[in-house]
Amino acid sequence: MAEDIFLGDDFLRQLMSVGEVDLLVALPTYNNAGTVVQAIQAIEDSYQQNFVRDRVVILNVDGGSTDHTTEAILNMNGRKAGAHRGITSLRTVHRVTTQYGRTPSQGLALQTVLAAADLLRARSCAMVSPATTNLDPSWIANLLKPAYRQDFAFVAPLYARSKFQGLLARNLLYPMSRAVFGLRIREMYSDEWGFSGRLATNCLGQKLDEAVRARPEAWMAVTAICTGMKCCQSFLGPKAPPTSGPDIVEAIRQTVGNLFWCFHNFQDHWLDRTGTEGVPTFGSDHELMPEDPPASQDKSFELFRSGVKGMDTVLPSILTADTHAQIRQIAALEPEKFRFSSELWVRTLYEFAASYHRATIARDHILQSLVPLYRGQLYSFLLEHGQSSPEEIEADSEGLCLEFERQKPYLIERWKAKS
Amino acid sequence: MAPPDDNLWYKDAVIYQLHVRTFCDSDGNGIGDFRGLTNKLDYLQELGINAIWLLPFYPSPLRDDGYDIAEYTSVNPTYGTIEDFKTFLAAAHSRRIRVITELVMNHTSDQHPWFQEARSSRDNPKRDWYVWSDTDDRYKGVRIIFLDTEMSNWSWDPISKSYYWHRFFSHQPDLNFDNPAVREAMWDVMKFWCDIGVDGFRLDAVPYLVEREGTSCENLPETHGVIRELRKRLDQAYPGKMLLAEANQWPADVRDYFGNSDEFHMAFHFPLMPRMFMAVKLEDRKPIIEILEQTPQIPENCQWCIFLRNHDELTLEMVTDIERDYMYDAFANDKAMRINLGIRRRLAPMMENDRRRIELLNGLLLSMPGTPIIYYGDEIGMGDNVYLGDRNGVRTPMQWNGGWNAGFSSSDPERLYSPLISNPVYGYQSINVDSQRRSEHSLLSWTKSVIQTRNSFRVFSRGTIEFLSPSNHRVLAYVRQLGEEKVLVVNNLSSSAQAVELNLQSYKGHIPIEMFGRNLFPRIGDLPYLLTLAPYQFFWFRLRRI
Repeated sequence: MAEDIFLGDDFLRQLMSVGEVDLLVALPTYNNAGTVVQAIQAIEDSYQQNFVRDRVVILNVDGGSTDHTTEAILNMNGRKAGAHRGITSLRTVHRVTTQYGRTPSQGLALQTVLAAADLLRARSCAMVSPATTNLDPSWIANLLKPAYRQDFAFVAPLYARSKFQGLLARNLLYPMSRAVFGLRIREMYSDEWGFSGRLATNCLGQKLDEAVRARPEAWMAVTAICTGMKCCQSFLGPKAPPTSGPDIVEAIRQTVGNLFWCFHNFQDHWLDRTGTEGVPTFGSDHELMPEDPPASQDKSFELFRSGVKGMDTVLPSILTADTHAQIRQIAALEPEKFRFSSELWVRTLYEFAASYHRATIARDHILQSLVPLYRGQLYSFLLEHGQSSPEEIEADSEGLCLEFERQKPYLIERWKAKS
Repeated sequence: MAPPDDNLWYKDAVIYQLHVRTFCDSDGNGIGDFRGLTNKLDYLQELGINAIWLLPFYPSPLRDDGYDIAEYTSVNPTYGTIEDFKTFLAAAHSRRIRVITELVMNHTSDQHPWFQEARSSRDNPKRDWYVWSDTDDRYKGVRIIFLDTEMSNWSWDPISKSYYWHRFFSHQPDLNFDNPAVREAMWDVMKFWCDIGVDGFRLDAVPYLVEREGTSCENLPETHGVIRELRKRLDQAYPGKMLLAEANQWPADVRDYFGNSDEFHMAFHFPLMPRMFMAVKLEDRKPIIEILEQTPQIPENCQWCIFLRNHDELTLEMVTDIERDYMYDAFANDKAMRINLGIRRRLAPMMENDRRRIELLNGLLLSMPGTPIIYYGDEIGMGDNVYLGDRNGVRTPMQWNGGWNAGFSSSDPERLYSPLISNPVYGYQSINVDSQRRSEHSLLSWTKSVIQTRNSFRVFSRGTIEFLSPSNHRVLAYVRQLGEEKVLVVNNLSSSAQAVELNLQSYKGHIPIEMFGRNLFPRIGDLPYLLTLAPYQFFWFRLRRI
C-alpha cells in the first residue's frame, strides 16, 4: 500500500510537530460539519478521562467536504485546564486535519490513517465515525485499551442493538466469517474499531485491493487473524441506527464483496482450519433489545421472487443445479408459507463464495445476484421472528452459525472443484 | 565595594540558598558556621550569584531545622556569634552580595521565652501573645499541613491547662497577630536585623498569621493588614529592604500578597516549580504554559521568585491529584522519597544525573520571568540521601573536595551533623567543587557561565515575556523583551532531536545571535524560522536588528 500514498507537506509538518504518540483516534469525515465537533469532544473527553498521562492525537482525514467540516474542527476551542469536571490531560491533546482527496473513500482514508499511525509510532489506534450520533467517551477508551494495555491487534466493537438491527451481519457476515476464519468476531463490519500500531504497520505494507476499499475494517481484522495477531471484542453500548447509509445493493457489494475477497485472498489461512473459537471480550457481551416488528416486508418477497425469475439464466453460473432448483421451488411458495431454510441459505452462500473465488462470471454480477436471494432470506427471517423474543432470535442465530460450521467442508469442496 | 544602590536590586538578583550549618565548618566541631561561610564567599562570588538567602540561624531546639526559633535577635552559638554574622555580612557586601535572612513570624518554638511566659499562667502579660482555647473545637475544618505528624491544629498545654493553636508542628505555637504587642515585637525584630545590615527577609508561612472562625484561616484580610503595616514601617525606616513571601498557594491567591505594591516585593511561584519538572518528563510544554497563563500580572516593582529545589520537599500541594500521582510515579517511585505532600530529593538525582536535563532545567530557571534561586550544591549536581529522615537528605554537608569530610569539616566523620553523601555516583569523591573547578566542561563551570550570561542582560530579570506557539509542543519558546533588548529562548523538552518552525514575523529583519557561543544565525525573514534542536537542547538568542 505504501507506494500508493502521497502525504502532503502540510500533513507531514503537522505529524512532525506531534511526534511519537501512544494513542491515535482517527475520524474520517465527509460533509459532517453538523456532528464532527460533538465527535471530537467525545474523543477529547475520553482522552482526559482515561489517558491523562499519555501522548495522544486526534486525526481527522477528510474526503473533500464542501460543508466546512474541516473549518468546524479547526475553529474548536481546546478545553482549558480544570474546566471539564476538574480533569485535564497532562499533555497536549493534538488535533491534526488533512484532506486525502476530493472524493470520499474509506480505503484512502484508512491508508492515510495507517501512514500516520506508522509515522507517529502509535501503539493503539481507533477509527470512529462522526456519523455515529451517540459516540460516547467510553467507546473510545474501550476501543483503545485492549491494544494499548494488552497485546491485542484488532478490537471489534460489540453493541447493544435492537432486535431487527444489523440483520445482514446477523444472518450472513458474522456466521459466515466465523465459520470460515474460525474466530467468533461478531461485528467485523462496523464504523468503529480499534487496532494496534503493529497491525497498522503490517497493513500499510500490503496492497489494499479495490474490492475492500469501501469497508476496509474487515480486511484489517482478517489480516490480523491470518498473521497470527490477537483479536478481541469490546462492548461499547447501544448503537443508534444510522440516519442514512447505503442501500441493500451497495451494502452487499461493500460488505459481502469484501468478505468474499478476503476468502479468496487469504484462502491459505483458512482452508485447513476446522472448528471455531471465541475471542476475549471486554465488558458485557452483545445485547439485543426488544423492538416492534418492522413494517410489512411483502416487497422484499416480491423482489426475491422476481429476482429469482429474472436471474434464471445467471444463477446456473453461480449455483449448483440442485441448489438453484430448490431456490426456484421456494420462490413459488405462497408468501405466508415461505421459508428459506438455514441449510439452503448456507449452501447458497457457500456456492456464491466459491463462484466468486473462481470468478465464474464477473464478480460484481455475482454480488448483485445475491441481493434478491438475501431479500428472500430476510423476508423469511422476519416472517419467522417477527414476534420472537431476543432470546429466541439469539438461539436461532447460533443455530445458523452452527449450520455454517457444519457445511464448511462443502464450501471447501466447492472451492476446490474445477467448475 | 558595597552592593549597588538600587531599590529594585531583588529583581536582578540570582539568589543562592544555603543553611550555614551545611556549608563550611571553621572550628572542627562538625557543624557549619558563619566563619566557614565567610571563608567561602569567594566561591559564591565566582559562581556569579549576587544574593544569599540564609535559612534560620537563630537559637533553637532545632526540632524543625531552625524554623522553631527560641530567640529572634541572636545567633545560635553553634554557628557563631552575632559578631561573626556581622563579619560575614560585611564580607558579603564587599563582594556585592546581598543577604536575605529568615523571619519566621507565624510561630515560635515552644521553648521561646515568650511562650514559656504565656503558658506559665492565664494571667501572664504574654498570655495573649499566642492563640489559646479551652476547647479544641474552634476553627473547625481548617486543614492540617503536616499530615504525616499532626492530628490536630490544637495541642493541650498541661501547664496552663488549655489548648494552643499551631498550624505546623505542635512544638511551634502560633503567635497571636491580633495582639498589637506581637506586631510591635516583630517589628522590633526586623529593626534589629536591618540595623545590622541585612538586605531582606524571607517571611515564612505567611498565609497563616491570623485566624478567624468560619474561615480556612489562610490568606485572611487581617493577615494582609499585618503585612501592610510592617511593609509601611520598613519602607519608611529602611528603604531598599526587601520582603519575600513564602505562600504556597495558587498564583491568583499569592497575587494578593503583592497588594498595591504595599505588601511583599517578591513571592515564590510554587506551582511553576513542579510543572517545570513535569514538562521535561512529559516532553510537553503544556504544564508550564497552563500555569503561566493562570498567573496574574503583578505590580511593576514586584517580582516572582522561582526555583527548582530547596531545603524542603518538592512540594506537590499546588498540583491536581492526577498531576501529583504522575510526579510521584515519575520522580519518587520509592516510597522513601516521599514526605508530606512532596518529594524529598535533589535536582541531579531527580534528573537521573543527566547533564542535559539538569542544564535544561537550569536554563529554564534562569530565562523565565522571575528571580531565580539556586539551592546550595545543585550547581555541582549534589545527590541526596532519602533515608536520613525528614528532609535531612537534601541538607547534607556541602562537598568541597574529595578529601577528609569532603573539605567541609576537619572533625571526625562521626561528629558531622549529618553523614556525607558517599555513594559512587553522587559521593563527595566524585562530585565536589574542587574537581569541577578543574574542568571547563563541568556542571559547575557551565553554571557559572549561564549565570554570567544572565547577569549580563537585564532583559532576563526585568523583561516581559511573550510565548510563541510552535505546533511542536515539545518545544517551549518565548521572547523576553526590555526596551530594545530582545532575547529569544527555545527549549527542547524532549529526549529526542526536534525540528521547530517559529513564527517570528514580529522580529523580521533581526539576526539571532546565540548567546553562549556568540554565533550568528540566519536573519529572520518572511518564512517560519526553522531550528533543529538536539535532545534537551536549548538556545538563548539575542535578537539584534543590524
